[in-house]
Amino acid sequence: MADEIEQLSAAQRSKVRRLSAPKELAPDEEGGELNIVPFLDIIMNVLMFVLATVAVTFTAIIDTQPPRPAGASAAKPTTPTLSLNVIILKDGYILSAVGQRIGAGCQGTGSGLAVGLDPSGKTRLVPVGATGTFKEVREYDYKALTECAARLKGASPDFATEKQVVITTGADMDFQAIINTMDALRKSDKGDELFPDVMFGVPK
Amino acid sequence: MANIPPGGGPPGGEPGGGGVPFVPAPPQKPASMARYKRELRKETKRRHIEPEINFLNITAMLDMMTIILVFLLKTMTTSTAAVPQGEDLKIPSSVIAKSQCAEQLVPGHESDDCPEPEGIAIFISKTNVVVGDHAVCPVPPDADKGVEARYKRGSRNDYGIVPLESALQSFRDTDKKVRAAQHKDPGFSEAIVVADLGVPYRLLFEVLYTLGQNEFSKQHIMVLQGSATPPKTTP
Repeated sequence: MADEIEQLSAAQRSKVRRLSAPKELAPDEEGGELNIVPFLDIIMNVLMFVLATVAVTFTAIIDTQPPRPAGASAAKPTTPTLSLNVIILKDGYILSAVGQRIGAGCQGTGSGLAVGLDPSGKTRLVPVGATGTFKEVREYDYKALTECAARLKGASPDFATEKQVVITTGADMDFQAIINTMDALRKSDKGDELFPDVMFGVPK
Repeated sequence: MANIPPGGGPPGGEPGGGGVPFVPAPPQKPASMARYKRELRKETKRRHIEPEINFLNITAMLDMMTIILVFLLKTMTTSTAAVPQGEDLKIPSSVIAKSQCAEQLVPGHESDDCPEPEGIAIFISKTNVVVGDHAVCPVPPDADKGVEARYKRGSRNDYGIVPLESALQSFRDTDKKVRAAQHKDPGFSEAIVVADLGVPYRLLFEVLYTLGQNEFSKQHIMVLQGSATPPKTTP
């Protein structure tokens, strides 16, 4: 009953209206943070162009040891060692292990190439000097080389810890073929480690 | 007059005329302060507007972008930034997916035990052998016989390249002190060899031999990751 009687006066109603009006923020108070949206627009555009123009290629590192001068050799091992040597020729690989040359087809000992060229006739392009021209040559049989290296390493438990291989080739062999050979000798098809430590021999 | 209702009369009524004369309403008694404050609170609450979010909150996205950017830059710095590839220098590709050192370690511990390869960069392009930013000797057209005899001590059959030795020696002197200060073995230095995929073995061997003779006994060969297929080129 008291509320019905007690009405606000006009002055009080006016004051209530005035004081209850929501405060409008000044332009500098709005949001309270820096508007970086235009900046981001620019950055996003620049970023897209940068990523589109930069050719991203990822590199890796293969560690090698320096070639030893003639006559210098490591200390003689006390256990039998495989001492794998791989010679890259134009038409295949000559392999020698435990001081003996591996026979054709990676079977036993004997003369000839242990591993030949790719049987499917696959070819690759080899640059000819600095002329900018290329010649087509037959690709090596890297799969057979990997299998041969795995077979030789598995021939005796004494060779299980051996990781070093000496790679030698002709003076004109291209670098890509050497890298491919190192790849083939690094791991077996099953992913087991074979011969990751490469030493380069004197060019033939 | 007693019949006139309070506040009754129409405005503009004729005084003394036939209409009802205008009489202002008596001033209303103000409500109590408690009532006034209650009304003020009620009205303030009613007219309150929730602040509208009229901008996109991109803070979370920016945090994420910054982290991604750091990793992106780190990867690009260590992998590509230092390799100026072009027609003169195309590095060979390999099936190796990560650095050889990291491949031989237990997964998850690469970063602890496999530091980023460091050392002087030796570039062997189709036309020059470059140490850092300086070309030390040209690559002859018949590079499979090595660099020319005037860059050797004796004949062309020697393996050591004299200008390369000089460039390496000055770096080696500095690197020896740096390695000692960093508590690393000062007995050797490291080198990163970046060679064109068509470089003949003889030239590569001469550079590696010269490095070895100048106490650069840790040599890293840079390759492109992931594929053994050489880059497509027009024959």
